Amino acid sequence: MKEKLEQILKDAQGEIEKCDDVKMLDEVRVKFLGKQGELTSILRNMKEVPPEERKTVGMLANGVREKVEEAIAKKGEKLNETALKLAMEKEKIDITMPSKGEKRGALHPLTRFNNKFMDICVAMGFTVIQGPEIDTDYYNFEALNVPKNHPARDMQDSLYITDNILLRTQTSNMQVHAMEELKPPFKIVCPGRVYRNDDDSSHSPIFNQFEALVVDENVGLKDLMKMIDVILKKLFGENVKMRVRPAYFPFTEPSIEIDATCQMCQGKGCSLCKGTGFSEVFGAGVVNPKVLEMSGIDSKKYSGFAFGPGIDRSVMVTNKIPNIKYLFRNDMRFLKQMR
Amino acid sequence: MKISYSWLKDFVDIDIAPEELAEKLTVSGFEVEEVIYQNEHLHDVYVGKITKIEKHKDADKLQVCTVDVGDKTVQIITSATNVFEGAVVPVSLEGADLCNGVKIKPTNFRGVKSDGMFCSGEELGIDENYIEGGGVNGILILPENTKIGAKIEDALLLNDVVFDVNVTPNRPDCNSVIGIAREVSAIYDVPLKDVDYSYKTCGGNVNDYISVEVKTKKCPRYMASYIKDLNLSRSPLWLRSRLFACGIKPINKIVDITNYVLVEQGQPMHAFEYNHLAGKKIVVRDAKKGEKIAVLNGNTYELDENDMVIADSDKPVVIAGIIGGVNSCVEPSTKETVFECAVFDLKSVRLTSRKIGVSTDSSMRYSKGVYVDTPVKALKRALHLVNELDAGKIVDGIIDKCDVKSKAHSFTASMSKIDKILGVEIDRNRVLQILNSLGIKSSLSGDKLHVEPPYYREDIECENDIAEELIRIYGYDIYNNLEGEAFENSSVTVGAYEPRLVFENNLKNELVDFGFYETLNYSLYSSSACDKLLIDDERKNVIKIANPISEELSTVRTVMAHALLLDIKFNLSVGNKDLRFFEVGKVYQPKALPLKELPVENNRLSIAVCEDGYDFFMLKNVVENLLVATSLKYKLERSTEPYLHSGVSADIIAEDGKKVGYFGKIHPKVLKNYDISHDVYYAELDTDYLSSLKEKLYSVKEVSKFAEVERDIAVVVDEEITNGELTSAIKSACGKLFAGAELFDVYRNISLGENKKSMAYKIHLLNEEKTMTAEEINAVINKVLKSLEYRYKAKLRA
Repeated sequence: MKEKLEQILKDAQGEIEKCDDVKMLDEVRVKFLGKQGELTSILRNMKEVPPEERKTVGMLANGVREKVEEAIAKKGEKLNETALKLAMEKEKIDITMPSKGEKRGALHPLTRFNNKFMDICVAMGFTVIQGPEIDTDYYNFEALNVPKNHPARDMQDSLYITDNILLRTQTSNMQVHAMEELKPPFKIVCPGRVYRNDDDSSHSPIFNQFEALVVDENVGLKDLMKMIDVILKKLFGENVKMRVRPAYFPFTEPSIEIDATCQMCQGKGCSLCKGTGFSEVFGAGVVNPKVLEMSGIDSKKYSGFAFGPGIDRSVMVTNKIPNIKYLFRNDMRFLKQMR
Repeated sequence: MKISYSWLKDFVDIDIAPEELAEKLTVSGFEVEEVIYQNEHLHDVYVGKITKIEKHKDADKLQVCTVDVGDKTVQIITSATNVFEGAVVPVSLEGADLCNGVKIKPTNFRGVKSDGMFCSGEELGIDENYIEGGGVNGILILPENTKIGAKIEDALLLNDVVFDVNVTPNRPDCNSVIGIAREVSAIYDVPLKDVDYSYKTCGGNVNDYISVEVKTKKCPRYMASYIKDLNLSRSPLWLRSRLFACGIKPINKIVDITNYVLVEQGQPMHAFEYNHLAGKKIVVRDAKKGEKIAVLNGNTYELDENDMVIADSDKPVVIAGIIGGVNSCVEPSTKETVFECAVFDLKSVRLTSRKIGVSTDSSMRYSKGVYVDTPVKALKRALHLVNELDAGKIVDGIIDKCDVKSKAHSFTASMSKIDKILGVEIDRNRVLQILNSLGIKSSLSGDKLHVEPPYYREDIECENDIAEELIRIYGYDIYNNLEGEAFENSSVTVGAYEPRLVFENNLKNELVDFGFYETLNYSLYSSSACDKLLIDDERKNVIKIANPISEELSTVRTVMAHALLLDIKFNLSVGNKDLRFFEVGKVYQPKALPLKELPVENNRLSIAVCEDGYDFFMLKNVVENLLVATSLKYKLERSTEPYLHSGVSADIIAEDGKKVGYFGKIHPKVLKNYDISHDVYYAELDTDYLSSLKEKLYSVKEVSKFAEVERDIAVVVDEEITNGELTSAIKSACGKLFAGAELFDVYRNISLGENKKSMAYKIHLLNEEKTMTAEEINAVINKVLKSLEYRYKAKLRA
C-alpha cells in the first residue's frame, strides 16, 4: 500500500511537471484528486485496509494528497505567471509615440531672467516694488541731479508727452519715489520698462532695466562691490569674472560700470563683446548726497548705493539669443525654444 | 573724441604701447572706444621716383615705368596719364592692402610684369585738403624733395595712432588734448609738460582796429586780437597731419590755427574776415526776435531772444559758439582777421544748437562747458602759432571783456567720510599723491583733508567727488582681494515681493501649464489701433507722444488686444500654427487730455488663442481656472467690449459691480481689420484689482460618510433657455440634497421641434445622514422635472 501511494505521488509529480497550460493541469488534478481520482479511491477504500495499518496508511495518503495539491498550486501559479507575461507581451506599445494632452508653453526669457534676479535680491533683503512708467521730469531727471539743459540729458533721448511729462528713460525714477516714501534703512529693487527715442538694429525704443537702491547708515562702495560679486556669481555662475570701469551718472558719485565675462562666448571674445570677452551688465555707484538731500534724506547720517542693469542684453547672452529684436517679435519659432 | 598719440606726447613723456594706454584710460574713467592706427592700410607702400617711361608694346593705354624705390628698382605698369619721368610717387608693392580694399600682388599685363601699383590720394585715404594732388583723378605726385624709398606713412606723416575717447559730461575739461594729457600724467605719475605760449607782436594797438561790446549776460568772457598781413597758404604738414588725425579738414593757416587750438586746448575760436565787420565793431548780444542769419552750412536760421549772436554794428555775423555766418569767415582773399576766443553760457549754446539742429566741434564743447580761464592761454597759444607758421602780423594788445572772476574754489573734506564711502582706507601718502597729480592741491591734518581743485575741476565739490578721484586712479582692483561681506556694518532688512508681482507670476505659471506662451510687446503703438478695434470715440482718449519715433510708436497703449492680434497675424504669416499667447503689461488711461497729471497705469493680463478646434468654452475653462484660486465672487454678463463678438463673449463682473475682465471671440470685423482669417479668442483680466483682493480663505466641511448618488435626465427646452437657468432651477429643486449638476450633452434635431434643444444633466445627490432609497431619489428627480417644466416648459426627453 505504501509503495502504491509513493508510486501515485511520483506519477502525479511527473504529470504535473509535464503540464503546459492550466487546462492540462486541471486534468491532472481530476485524475489524481477528483472524485474518481486515484488517490481519492484509495482513501475511499480505507475500510479494506487492516485496522492496525489504517492510521499509518491514512496519514500517508493524506500526506501524498497534500503534496500533490501543493505541487498543482505551485505549477498553477507558474503557469499563470507565464500566461500573464505572454499577454503583456502582446499588449506592448511603441513608447516613442507622442504624448497626449496639454503641452506646456513657456515663459518669456525676460520674465525668467527677471524672476531669477528678483529672487536673488529678495534673498538679500530687497523689497521688489514697481512704479510709474509715465512720470514727470522731476522724478526722471531733476531729482536725480539732472537739471534742465544738463549735458547728461544728451545721453538719453527722451520720449515726451508734454513738456513736463515723459516716458521714463530709466528705472532710476523709482529711486526718488522710494526715497520719498520709505524711511531708511531700506533696500529696494524695481524691474521695469524704460523708453528712449532710439530705434535701430542694436537698440529698441523700449527696453528693460532693474533699479536697486540701498539707503542706510554705513553703506558704501565696498558693500556695492561685494554685493555685485555675489549677484553676478548667482546669475552667471561661480566662474564669472568682473571688470570695473569708472563712469558718470549724475545721481551717483563715485559711479562705475561693471562688465562681466561675456556669456555669449564665455570670455573667448565674440562679435557681441567686440572681442573683449566682457560685456557691460550694471551701471552703479554711491548715491550722490545731493540726490539724497533733494528727496529729504539726511546725507550726513545716511548714505546709499544704487545699481541698475539693463537686462535685455543679459537675457540675450544667457539664452544665446542671436538678435536683440527677437525679444519683442513674439515669433513662436523663438518662443517654443524657451520651453 | 579723437585724440592723437603724437599730440599727446607734446604734453607727457611716455612711451607706452597704444593698447595698454587705451586700457589704462578706460579703467580710469575715459573709455577708449577704438584705437585707430593711421597706417593700417599703408604698409608696403613706398616713395618711388620714376626713372624711365616706355609704351607697352601690346597695349596703347599702358605705360611701363621703371621706378627707383630706394633699395631697388621695380617695374610698374600704369594707365595713369599724369605720371612723367622724374615724378616722385607712392608705389604700392606686393602685400599692400590699400584703403579702398585693393590688395597688391605682382601682375602680368599682356606679357609684361608689374611689381605693384602707383597710388592715388584716395587709395591712401587722403584728399586734396591734406596734400596738393591728393584729390586728383590720377596718381598722387609728391614733392620732389620727398625721400626716395621712405615708407609712405612717414613721408606723408600718416603714422599716428588715434584714440577715440568717450569723455563723460562731467569732464568737459577733457574734451582736449591737454585735458587727456593731464589724466595720463596722473595715471602714470609723469610730469605734465607744457607747450609754447610765447609770441611776438608787430606794434600798433588792437583798439585802433576793433572794439568789443558785450551786451548779454550769457557771455562771461570775450577775448579778441587783431592780425594783419595774413598769409593764407597751406599749413605745414605736421599741423595738417594732426588735424586730419582728429577728423578735421585742413583749410588754411588761420583757420587751421583756430581748429588746432580747439582740439589742443578745448577752446573754440573764430577768425573773422575783418573787412566784413561793419563799424569795425564786435557786439555780443541776444538775438532779436525774427532776426535771420545765413550760415556756412548753406542754411538760413531765424532766431529769437533766447539765442545769442556775435554782431557787427549792423547785423549778426555768427551764431555765438555754434556756426559762422557766410560773410564773417576768413576767405582766400582775406588780409586782416580778428581772433575770437570767448566763453559762452553752456545752456544757451546747447538750446540754440538743439533748436536749429546744428552741432559743430565748437558747439559740442561750448554746450559741455568751457571755463572762464581757458581762453587766456588758448589765445596766447593761437598767437604763438601765428608766429610759428608765419601766418600774419599780430598787432599789440588783447581785448579782454571779462565780468566773471574765476572762483578760487577750495574746501575741507572729512577723510573718514571718504573712507566710509569707499569702504576701504587708502594710504594717506597715496591719497595726497593722487590728488596732487590730478592738479588738486591737497593737504591733510588729522581727519581734515583740505583740497583746492584747479579751475577746470568745478565738478569736485564734496567727499564723494574726492572718493571717486582716488579710487579711479588707485584702481578698483583693490576690492577684489578685500576681506568681508556686503552689509557688514548696516541693518538687516527683510526682502519681499510686491503682491501683484507674486499674483501675476502665479497666473503666468498656470498659463504656461495650459500650453500658453508669454509674449512681450511694445507699450506704444499706432494711433489707428483703437479704430481697428472698433473702439468708439469716447474711449479713444489716448495719450500721444509729442516727439514719436514713428507713427507705429506714436501712442501710449490703452488696449492690450492690438499687439496680440498683430502677433497672431505675424505668426500666421510665417506659417506658425496653434497659437496660445499671453502677456502681462500696462495700459495707461489719462484722467484728462491734454495730460495735466500722470495717467492711471493699470496692469492687465491678456490672453489670445488662435487654434483649430478652440472655442469659447475652452477659453472659459482657462479663465475659470485662473480665477478659482482667488477670492473673487463674480458673475458673467454679455460683454460690451466693442472688439469682441457680441454673442460669444462675456464680461466678468465682481460683486461690487466692477468689471474685472472679459473674454470671448474676436469680432469678425476686427479680424478683417487685422487681416486674420482664423477665429481668435481673447481674454483680459485686471490684475491690479484681482491681486488686491483678500486672500482666499478655506473652511472645510466634514466629508460625508455616505456616497453620492447620480441620476441622468434629459429635457427638451426652447433655445433661449440657458444652462445657467436650468442648473440653478435644478439646484433649488434638490434643496439640501443637491451635490452638483453637470451638463453632459446638448442635442439639437428637428424631431425635437422647432427652436428646441435637448439638455442632458447628471445630477448628484447626497443625504448627509443616511443612504437614500430608490423612492427618495425618484421623488427628488420628479420634483426637479416638475420645477423645470413649470419654470421653463421643459419636457422630459422620451
